[in-house]
Amino acid sequence: MEEYAREPCPWRIVDDCGGAFTMGAIGGGIFQAIKGFRNSPVGVNHRLRGSLTAIKTRAPQLGGSFAVWGGLFSMIDCSMVRMRGKEDPWNSITSGALTGAILAARNGPVAMVGSAAMGGILLALIEGAGILLTRFASTQFPNGPQLSEDPSQLQPPLFSNYQQYQ
Amino acid sequence: MPGVLPRTLPASLGRGCLGRWLLATRGWALLGAGAVPCSCPRWRLRPPLLLRAARQSFGTQAGGLKAAKPGGDNKDVSVHRALNEETLVSAAQKVKEAGRDFTYFIVVLVGIGVTGGLFYVIFKELFSSSSPNKIYGDALEKCRSHPEIISVFGDSIKGYGEATRRGRRQHVSHIEYIKDGLKHMRLKFYIEGTESGKQGTVHVEVKENLETGRFEVRYIFVDVETYPRRTIVIEDNR
Repeated sequence: MEEYAREPCPWRIVDDCGGAFTMGAIGGGIFQAIKGFRNSPVGVNHRLRGSLTAIKTRAPQLGGSFAVWGGLFSMIDCSMVRMRGKEDPWNSITSGALTGAILAARNGPVAMVGSAAMGGILLALIEGAGILLTRFASTQFPNGPQLSEDPSQLQPPLFSNYQQYQ
Repeated sequence: MPGVLPRTLPASLGRGCLGRWLLATRGWALLGAGAVPCSCPRWRLRPPLLLRAARQSFGTQAGGLKAAKPGGDNKDVSVHRALNEETLVSAAQKVKEAGRDFTYFIVVLVGIGVTGGLFYVIFKELFSSSSPNKIYGDALEKCRSHPEIISVFGDSIKGYGEATRRGRRQHVSHIEYIKDGLKHMRLKFYIEGTESGKQGTVHVEVKENLETGRFEVRYIFVDVETYPRRTIVIEDNR
């Protein structure tokens, strides 16, 4: 089902980058709020000010690093789709590995390999979860049509009435 | 209060385990056995008792330092005190710690189980020859090398499956069914060529071969979305 009138890929990069930034900023905000609250002197005013300061300084940093990860991952993913011409889970895993490697480039080749392994494994887990979810979601609708006969396009090849199945 | 504390207080102890440090290296008999329990955070509730102990123990500090050898003897004293402290751990504490360890162990097991399950799913999807993704890949390769397809769609052919919410199109729609005791699978995916607007739907059916255990192709055909509708049969092994 083509729900999208345009090609998803180039626009997906911006989409993923923004989504990752939001996740990082909100998660970081909550985390830093609690941390700032606890690390402040006694008194509710002090604590609230401390947590607000922590949010203002740290949450954008976390959001920024998430956004970099998400944007780079999506860029490499779209490039691989364009190069291979096929949409596969392999694209995601390789993109995760390359993203991890590029983001650790400052720390030398050994760190790049380790970071690439971590990125690849993380993406493999996410892809596995995605596959599980889609399989479970599709088996929930048991209305499979009768499949005992071959589709009519094969025998008399110009038969136009053909029932679409899922 | 801060002025009474000696300067030799290690900075790393911070505010956490000051009670235990005092117990270990000074006269812990001053406080009595159960006054300051082993878990350090409760020290915060008993500052008066510890202050008394601190002042009394620091009163003997000068004499103690002159009498003891630097370094070694203090270490022996700490270890001795620590050992003595351990025997005071009651059975209730041990049960609580065992319970906590057990909970952590269960959590770790669950985590490993879930991770292992996800890895198994992804390996089966990518590497097993009977996964829909593999069959889709093989069918796409056959489409790409078929001259009629190339003439209709152009040189570089893209393949994709169903679009999910985010716009990624990785899921290939497939159905498995059993007919005459053999497993069959039908797939459907879409191809698109460089020539604009030309889209096609590829239908693949594979049948399980009992001797080799792998799936072999029964038919592959492509529905081209032109007017009039055109069907290109790539392979027909029925």
